[in-house]
Amino acid sequence: MQNKPTTFHFLLLIASGLLLAALSFLWWNDSRQPAPISLTPTLSGETEYCLTCHVDLPEISASHPADTFGCVSCHGGERLALNADLAHSTMRGGANPSDFSVVEASCGGSNCHSGSEADDRHHIQRVMTSVQSTYAGAIASIRYTFGAQTDLNAHFGIQAVIDEQSKTGISSLETFNPVDEAHPSIQKFGEECLSCHLHAEPREGEAYARETGCAACHSTKKHTLTTAIPYTQCNACHNRGNYDLRTMTFVERTDHPTQRIDDYYQPIAQFTQCEYTLDCVDCHTRSEVMGDGDIHNDQASIEYVQCKTCHGTLEELPLTKTLTDPNDIAFTLAFLNPIKDLKLGDTIIVTEKGEPLWNTKVLPDGTYEMIGKATNQYFTFRPVMGTACEQKPDEQESHYCHECHAVEK
Amino acid sequence: MNVTQWKNKMTDLSRRDFLKLIRNGFLYLSGVLVTGGLLRFLSYESEPKRKTEFDIGSADNYPLGSRTSIPEIPALLIHTESGYTALSLTCTHLGCTLEPNETGFACPCHNSSFDEAGNVIHGPAVKPLQVLRIEITDDGNIKVFTA
Amino acid sequence: MRPSFFHHLHPPTIPTAQARWRHTLAAGGTAIFLMLILGVTGILEMFYYIPNPEEAALSVQTITYLVPFGGFIRNLHYWSAQLLLIVSAIHLLRVVFTAAYSHPRRFNYLLGLTLFVIVILLDFTGYILRWDVDICYPLLTGTNLLKTIPLIGDALHRIAIGGGDACTSGLLRMYVWHIFGLTLPVIILGVWHAFRVRRDGGIAVPPPQVRTDNARISRNELVRREVLAMFVIGIALILLSSFAPAPIAPAMPTTPAAIGAAASQSARAPWFFLWVQQMLKWGDPFIFGIVIPIGILVLVALIPYIFPKPADSDIGTWFPKSNRFAQITIGLVSFIVILLTLLANAK
Repeated sequence: MQNKPTTFHFLLLIASGLLLAALSFLWWNDSRQPAPISLTPTLSGETEYCLTCHVDLPEISASHPADTFGCVSCHGGERLALNADLAHSTMRGGANPSDFSVVEASCGGSNCHSGSEADDRHHIQRVMTSVQSTYAGAIASIRYTFGAQTDLNAHFGIQAVIDEQSKTGISSLETFNPVDEAHPSIQKFGEECLSCHLHAEPREGEAYARETGCAACHSTKKHTLTTAIPYTQCNACHNRGNYDLRTMTFVERTDHPTQRIDDYYQPIAQFTQCEYTLDCVDCHTRSEVMGDGDIHNDQASIEYVQCKTCHGTLEELPLTKTLTDPNDIAFTLAFLNPIKDLKLGDTIIVTEKGEPLWNTKVLPDGTYEMIGKATNQYFTFRPVMGTACEQKPDEQESHYCHECHAVEK
Repeated sequence: MNVTQWKNKMTDLSRRDFLKLIRNGFLYLSGVLVTGGLLRFLSYESEPKRKTEFDIGSADNYPLGSRTSIPEIPALLIHTESGYTALSLTCTHLGCTLEPNETGFACPCHNSSFDEAGNVIHGPAVKPLQVLRIEITDDGNIKVFTA
Repeated sequence: MRPSFFHHLHPPTIPTAQARWRHTLAAGGTAIFLMLILGVTGILEMFYYIPNPEEAALSVQTITYLVPFGGFIRNLHYWSAQLLLIVSAIHLLRVVFTAAYSHPRRFNYLLGLTLFVIVILLDFTGYILRWDVDICYPLLTGTNLLKTIPLIGDALHRIAIGGGDACTSGLLRMYVWHIFGLTLPVIILGVWHAFRVRRDGGIAVPPPQVRTDNARISRNELVRREVLAMFVIGIALILLSSFAPAPIAPAMPTTPAAIGAAASQSARAPWFFLWVQQMLKWGDPFIFGIVIPIGILVLVALIPYIFPKPADSDIGTWFPKSNRFAQITIGLVSFIVILLTLLANAK
């Protein structure tokens, strides 16, 4: 009887088989996991495993190589987790760490984009206080129109900002809260017209999708940061529809214009050839577009580049500067967007505030060249001086130029 | 014992043995998987890898004729007419860091002794000191490689 | 055949009734097996766990995601610990519902109850060792509860976490309590508890003179049943740990402001303390967080001493008449704890 296989022997056999099966499953399951890919960025020295899944992402820009910065220093996240939910759970600003709610943690820091004004790296301070972000002028104008304020001075921005060293006399703006407003038109304005500005959440829908924060302008395609910003990027806000002041609504356009001259949303606008051939950033400077660090009353008080900035007037040539200082900001800008080989000794056009138009150059014959920052196209142009232009000396703003030089639509 | 009894016994025995064989096979294989898993678990390298590449700064800091100790490697950088040489200061016996003395270098652990060129004066070490690979980078820095 | 070491741990024969599944629910044996798994997997985790606030959660992530089979080992440790709590509770219920605590097993009942309390503390400290954002408020409130105890509260708080701020310090103490300060007593009391089971005449059954079933089984048979039970639990745990990952959350931030922001997202107590957390919403933390839970514990501990002694023939039988008060007491306690847990879950 002792030698007969008992029930126990059968059960033990089955149990052993199941144990082996369970352990085999465990090994098989383990072998299916992707091999972790580590990256130890030199900046932090802290190993991260984001590349295990994101190995195909392109380098975001030449200035932010992954070997140096890694992913986590900008994006946050759990650097060792190989579970997507956990790894992504603490990312700053979701997929966009440059959103203004988190930009200081992602892009800031005194070594990065929160430097001092002296070293010209106070980018976050500049953009936060710029009218692109505050929309202060339009808010003031609408509140004035509907009787909520008695002057046209800016008191509110989309988000509150403070700049105690402001040179404009405006040291702070309060948060504009449309719900607190008495006039229904101002409330409607608050609902309809704040979505373009960098501090505000974009509107729903794909047609003119934009990112928030720095990426709104600098990220032209997925996982890219650039200073070569084409006009299409600007169009995501500046040509995405029209507003109706009577009903205080915003009417979005649904098409993607291809004819730059015909498809601008303001039918009365007039354009000269350079305004629809060049990109916006070819003429408009850093301080105009991204702010100069001070809080400004409205767009008009920060935008200053005119036709004459490059073309001069009948009496004056445009301002120029010969680059003699290797630390000139022009070289930094040219380095970040290497469309041309800017050299010491080159003479370039500068604006009346001294900002370099580093993509220009004075040629030996007295004409000028310009290279498109986003297109890399080569242009030459002449000064007004010495031409048959009949414009009066005291009428030199661009809109006077448009009267003769605008291209008929 | 008649034939039938014997036959029954044999069948029972071999059936039992057969079952036992398979069961033990399952259990041994399970044991192999558990042991293998355990070894894989324990052999994960959790400590950061040892640095093998050292940028020791501009070559101008090491003028002709200088012998400079670089403690972080540890190595001795020698600049002679024939160029730069990095002599490892890790004892070839069991890895302690050598200390300079009148004749060269001595090991504080087991008293091995080397001359200034790195040759063994007396043991227990038998191999001479390693000469480390050197590279001069484009911007004029010296890089020393320990592997 | 000479008995092996494992056979020797058992008496040569025991009454068949003592080894019946429907009588013991296999809870005590399962608890011992789970403790063995916990010991082995715990030691394995110690090879990679780093008990300092900056690195603890990251080292848990390393174990979970990077070390080969590390996630599995951690899941095994986690699930064994949760099962141990449940199995211990079932064991306690079985002992009360079958009047097994009665003399001469009253002392062993207290040993067992002490083990149960230490196992709960082990579960809690083990949970704290994750040191991620989820553990901050449970640790903070749990240790602040100690402070509410008059006279000795502050001292207990220092003993538990060494003072300081619960979410930035205290990890080292939690680690030592978990690895050593609570584990060692569990080993000692556990061995004592098992020894007392045998010394007190094995698992409770009616004494021989009133026993109806006098069949006995050999220790060979007993070991066979234990082996089979271990296989079943082991395989179940392997599968559970392959499919169900143990909870994990983002690492604890390093600045107090960031800790506050992150911790407020998840202020939930671990599941076995949800019933206390639910009561704490009602008012005074000392009453609801200390007095009532300890009162319940004392009440359960006093069951063998304050209720009428069950009849000899009832010992080891399910729900005997002579044991009604004890059954109602433990039943009510269980009901209240489960109800409070469900209430806490409902919100």
